[in-house]
Amino acid sequence: MNSFIETEAIIVILMLVATLVAIVARRISLPYTVSLVLVGLFMSIWRPLDVEVTPELILALFVPPLVFEAAFHLDFKLLRENLTPILMLAVPGVLVTTLLVGGIVALGTGTAIAVTCTFGALIAATDPVAVVALFRALGVPQRLAVAVEGESLFNDGTAIVVYQIALGAALSGIFDPVEGVFDFLLVSAGGLTIGSVLGWLLAQAIARVDDRLIVTTLTTLLAYGAYLVAEEVHVSGVLAVVAAGLVSGNVGLSKTSPTTKIMLFNLWDFLAFLSNSMIFLLIGLTVDLPKLWEQIIPIIIAVVAVLVSRAVVVYGISFLISVLRRRKPHIPISWRHVLFWGGLRGAISLALALSLPSVLAEREMLLEMTFGVVLFSLLIQGTTIQPLLKRLGLIQHSDPHLARETKLGRLFATHAGLKALEKLYHEGLLTSEMWNGLRQDYYETQGQLIDDMNQLFTEYAALEREMLLKARQEALRAERGALGDAQRRGLISEHTYEQLRTEIDLRLEALNMIYASTQKGWKALEEMQEK
Amino acid sequence: MQRPIVCATRGGQASRRTQEKAIALAKERGANLIFLCIADPSFAPLADDALEAALSDELTRLGRSMLYIAQARARKQGIEATAIVECGPVWDKIEGFLKDKNAQTLVIGAPEEDVMLQAFGAEKIHKFVERIEENTGVDVVVVT
Repeated sequence: MNSFIETEAIIVILMLVATLVAIVARRISLPYTVSLVLVGLFMSIWRPLDVEVTPELILALFVPPLVFEAAFHLDFKLLRENLTPILMLAVPGVLVTTLLVGGIVALGTGTAIAVTCTFGALIAATDPVAVVALFRALGVPQRLAVAVEGESLFNDGTAIVVYQIALGAALSGIFDPVEGVFDFLLVSAGGLTIGSVLGWLLAQAIARVDDRLIVTTLTTLLAYGAYLVAEEVHVSGVLAVVAAGLVSGNVGLSKTSPTTKIMLFNLWDFLAFLSNSMIFLLIGLTVDLPKLWEQIIPIIIAVVAVLVSRAVVVYGISFLISVLRRRKPHIPISWRHVLFWGGLRGAISLALALSLPSVLAEREMLLEMTFGVVLFSLLIQGTTIQPLLKRLGLIQHSDPHLARETKLGRLFATHAGLKALEKLYHEGLLTSEMWNGLRQDYYETQGQLIDDMNQLFTEYAALEREMLLKARQEALRAERGALGDAQRRGLISEHTYEQLRTEIDLRLEALNMIYASTQKGWKALEEMQEK
Repeated sequence: MQRPIVCATRGGQASRRTQEKAIALAKERGANLIFLCIADPSFAPLADDALEAALSDELTRLGRSMLYIAQARARKQGIEATAIVECGPVWDKIEGFLKDKNAQTLVIGAPEEDVMLQAFGAEKIHKFVERIEENTGVDVVVVT
């Protein structure tokens, strides 16, 4: 019982720290995951929490919701449009990374190639959480975001499979290439098949039972169930979760009501946030800085190997695609730089490194090398990707949007200031002369800001349409809140509340669709202007 | 009585310029001005009837709000305009409306508006102008 309470206390403390970090990270504009690692590192100096991070904890508990959430939200149409680069990076890309990293590290450290290839495989899985969060905040081209996220989803699975094959070879000293390829295909295809079947079954269930609580519970079962079933039959659990998420998100979601959809999105946003928080905080907490320092030379070699291999894979595959698909859309040069520098390493690499068997003589070195590469990628690449995106001109929150936001922000602030002054006046703390003088000044500022907004809308009329859409969304949310109040006060029955709330959710969903079409328009407009 | 000028607008990038042009033409010719917005939900084919109805309704409401704003702007310049929102396929609806109202001129926005609305490529606009002029005899002014 005591150990249960202790575990619960640790979870509560970790969640509290994660939340505080999230609040601070927003204010200091540092990627959230990077902030978590830094705080974890800082905490690890005093070791206030006795936490043992096992590979099972990461792979079986935290990775399924993360992978599922990303796959669930990924638009299959967009994925299909980018499938060639994604699969090229995730399959041959992982194999090339494994061999190149393995080769460079073997040369640099004098370790056996079979062992260093195991490291090459485990470090091949990219983890772009910090990058994707930035993409969402800054509004980079959707195709680029899908390419980065898609690559990561699939290479998680392929890297694990290659890692298991490489580890087998390192331990036994025997590697049969034919058997290796066969195993790779079997484990990958097996995982994808199990996930697809389970995802399709869930989609059918959703079509028949559109109850938000049952459907959300079913998706949770699917995320963990797909992983467990696949692992049980010795195929890729991660790829099973990817397929399950993709199928259920694209087939099942179209059959759910907006109310269920909103609940699903909220739940998975929350679970992904929680898993991410735990993983990155634990990464920081687990790092042993003195041990890391002892292995600084192999770590530097590993970092160089990872960067070199990433460059070869990204630029090489992009070049190959542009040569092979002359008439089809290729990967723009600026995107290649982002794919290269944005190839961060994280949870999967760490989980695989932790699962290295103790019989492997070089386990300690490989573990520290993994920590080193993960820290480098998070702290150096993760913090410099935003300036890179800016430099490459890939941030799409255009000047007119920013100008509107600034003016809107000032309007909000002015309105709040005016209300505060009015309160002071009514409380008798301001004389009427003072109140009138101040009020006049505020009215003039407000008038000027409204004129500026009007001017902006004249120049960029589509902004006005967007503003109307956002205002309507706000109004509908307020209407939904009022319905909830009315139901709690007994003014309307639960049945009426559900019926009216569903109507509002449908309208919100419709507005999202209209807004999405507007956003596509902006991107098309900017692309046209770029040309 | 002058035949009316119809200004078809959906709030795209060129909409303000399009409306201003239509107001100026109405003033110059002393003609009635009609702001027309077509709510076309076909950009998102949906299997769910309830969602399709909500989408149609929200597009209509959005169109109505935008046309009220356009009306207010016209009023400021001394023009009393009519605002009408219709639902259906854009080109067919505009053509039907022009015939129904026996309009003299249609004012539309391009090319930025095309990009915002996706369905209005430059080539499509050109074809549409030809089609309208041929089928209705209405003079089309394209504002860029």
